[in-house]
Amino acid sequence: MVADVFLTILTVAFALMVVFSKKTVVSAFALLMTLLSLAMIFFQLGTVFLSAVQVLVNAGAIAILFVFVMMLINLEQFGNNREKSKVKLVISTFTVLVVLGVFALVINNNIDSLSVVNLTDNSMKALFDKLFNSYFLPFEMATVLLLAAIVASVVIATHEKDESIEQMEILKAEEKL
Amino acid sequence: MEFASFIVFFIIACTLSAVLLLISSLLGQKRKIVREMDIYESGVNPVGSATRQYDIKFYLTAILFLLFDVEIVFLLPWALAYQESPNHDFMLAGFIFFMVIMLVGYIFVINSKALKWEE
Amino acid sequence: MFEVMLEILIKTVVILALPLGALPIIIHVERRGAAFMQKRLGPNRVGPFGLLQPLADVAKFMFKEEVHPTHVKPFFYTAAPIIALVVAILPLACIPVMAPFQAFGRTIFPEVFRSDMGIFYAFAASALGSYGILLAGWASNNKYSMLGALRACAQMVSYELSLSTSVVAMIFLYGSNDIHVMISAQTGYWFGFLPKWGVFLQPVAALLFLVGIFAESNRLPFDLAEGESELVAGYHLEYSSMKFALFFMAEYIHMIALSALLIILFFGGYSLLPGLELIAEKAPILLAVLQLTSLGIKIALMIWFFVWVRWTLPRFRYDKLMDLGWERLLPLGIANLIVTVLFVYFRNQ
Repeated sequence: MVADVFLTILTVAFALMVVFSKKTVVSAFALLMTLLSLAMIFFQLGTVFLSAVQVLVNAGAIAILFVFVMMLINLEQFGNNREKSKVKLVISTFTVLVVLGVFALVINNNIDSLSVVNLTDNSMKALFDKLFNSYFLPFEMATVLLLAAIVASVVIATHEKDESIEQMEILKAEEKL
Repeated sequence: MEFASFIVFFIIACTLSAVLLLISSLLGQKRKIVREMDIYESGVNPVGSATRQYDIKFYLTAILFLLFDVEIVFLLPWALAYQESPNHDFMLAGFIFFMVIMLVGYIFVINSKALKWEE
Repeated sequence: MFEVMLEILIKTVVILALPLGALPIIIHVERRGAAFMQKRLGPNRVGPFGLLQPLADVAKFMFKEEVHPTHVKPFFYTAAPIIALVVAILPLACIPVMAPFQAFGRTIFPEVFRSDMGIFYAFAASALGSYGILLAGWASNNKYSMLGALRACAQMVSYELSLSTSVVAMIFLYGSNDIHVMISAQTGYWFGFLPKWGVFLQPVAALLFLVGIFAESNRLPFDLAEGESELVAGYHLEYSSMKFALFFMAEYIHMIALSALLIILFFGGYSLLPGLELIAEKAPILLAVLQLTSLGIKIALMIWFFVWVRWTLPRFRYDKLMDLGWERLLPLGIANLIVTVLFVYFRNQ
C-alpha cells in the first residue's frame, strides 16, 4: 500500500517535471524517470514481463531518442520561446478537457472490470494467447506501421539539402568575408 | 515479495555507490587551482561550446534502433506463445509475414545508404 | 516477516559481495595478463607478486583530489557515475548462482528475486547501461566527452539489436523464459561426452551474443567511446578520483553481468562442469558449492577471454564498427532466427 502511493506520487511528480522544467534536457530525463517509475508500478503489480518491455522500449529507446535530439540540436540558438500567448492557452485548455473527458468515460464504463484486473506473469500468457488468436491481424499490421515509420525517418533524415537554404548560407558566408 | 527484494537490492546498490563517492570527497585532497577547473582540451584554450550540432547519423541510428527494437520485442511473446499454440502452421505463417515486412524495411535502410558513415 | 527480510538481505549482500569482491582480482589479472602478453613485468612491487596493488589503487582513488570543473552541469555530473554503477549492478539481481535448494523447510531460490521472466528483467536493466555514459558525456560539457558519449550510445544500441535476435532464438529453442528451466535443459551430455550447452545448438547465436557483449560493455576492440588516440578518454575525461573509479567499476561489473547472461544462455549457467559430477555423486551435500564453483570458473574464463581479446585485436574504425553491426551482424541474427524457427517447425512435423 505504501509502495502504491509512493510510486504514484513519484510518477506524477516526474510527469509534472517534464511539463514544467525550463531546461529541455532536464525534461527529457524527467520523462525517462516517469517511464521508469511506470515500469516499477508494473513490477509492483507482479508483471515483470510488462515492466521489462516498458524499460526496453519506452525507457530504453524512446528516451534515448529524446536525449539525442536535445543534444544534437543546439538549443541555445533558438533562445527562450516560452512567451505566453492566448492561442496556446486556449489549445492547452482544450486538450486537457478532452483528455479528462476520455478518462471520465473510460472509468465510468469500465470501473468494475478495472477493479478485478489481476496482473501476473501467468495472466501475461493468457494475453499472448489472445494476441496471437483474436488479435493476430492488428499484430501483423503493427509491422506495416513500423515499416512506414522506418521509411519516413530515413527519407526525412537523408533528404537533399534545399537549394535555397544553400544559397542563403553562401550569401551569409560572403557577408562575413 | 519480489518487488520488496528488488527495492531492497536497489536501495543497497544506490547507497553503496553514494557512500563510495562520499568517501573520496571527504578523504580527498582539497586544493582549488583555477587552471585545473578548466575544460580539458589538451592544453590549448577551447574553441566554442560543447553543445553544438553533431552528425545527424547519431539521431538516425537511435530512431532506427527504436523501430527495429520494437519489432524484435514483438517477437518475444511470439517465441513464448509458439510452443503452446495449437496451430503451428498459423503461427509460422504469421512469423514469415512479420519477417518479410521487417526485411523490406531493413533492405530499404541499407539501400538508402542512410547508415553509411563515410561520405 | 523478520525471516523474509533476513533472507532478502543475505541474498542481496552475497550477490553484491561476490562481483565486488572479485573486482580487484579481475583488474589485477587484466593488468598482469596485459604485461604477460606484451612481455612486460606489470605491477609486481606492492606485496607478493604485486597482489596488493588493487588495494593500493583503491587507497589512491580515495585520497586523490576530487576535481570538480567549473564548466560542468553539477547535478548530472555527480549523478552520472552513481547511475552508471547502479545500472550495472541491477541485472545481477536475477542471475542464479546455484540451483534452488531445500533449507529450513522450504525451497530457497538463490537469486535476489525470483521471477520466471527474470531474463527479460536482466536485459532491460542492462539496456539502461547507456544512460550513465550519455549523462556523463553531456554533463561534462566537453567536446571529447560529448562525442565519446554519442559514439558509445550509438554503438550500444546498434549491437543490442543483433544481441536481441540471438536471445529470441534461444528463448524460442528452449520454449521457456525461466532461467532455471533453461539451465536444466543444458544439464547432461550428448553422446556421453559433449555437454548439452546451447552453444553447440546455436553457434551463430552464441557468436552474435559474444560480439554483442563486447560492444555493450565498451571493451576493445569496440572501445570507440574512449579511444584515446582520438578522444583522449571519451565520456569520463572530466572525471577524477572516486567518480572515475565508479565508471571503472561499472564497466567491469557490466562485463561480469553480461558474461553471466552469456553463460546462462549458451554455457549451461550453474550446471556442473564436466568432471565435477563425480565429486557431486560422492558428496551430494557439496552440490551447491560445486555449482557456485562451476559458475565462477566459467565467468573467470570469460573474463580472461575479454583480456585476451583486448590485447590481441586492434581497435575498429568507427564507420567499420557501425557497418559491422548493421550490415553483417543484424542480417546474420535475422537469418539465424528464421532458420531456427523453420528447423523447429519441420522437426515437429
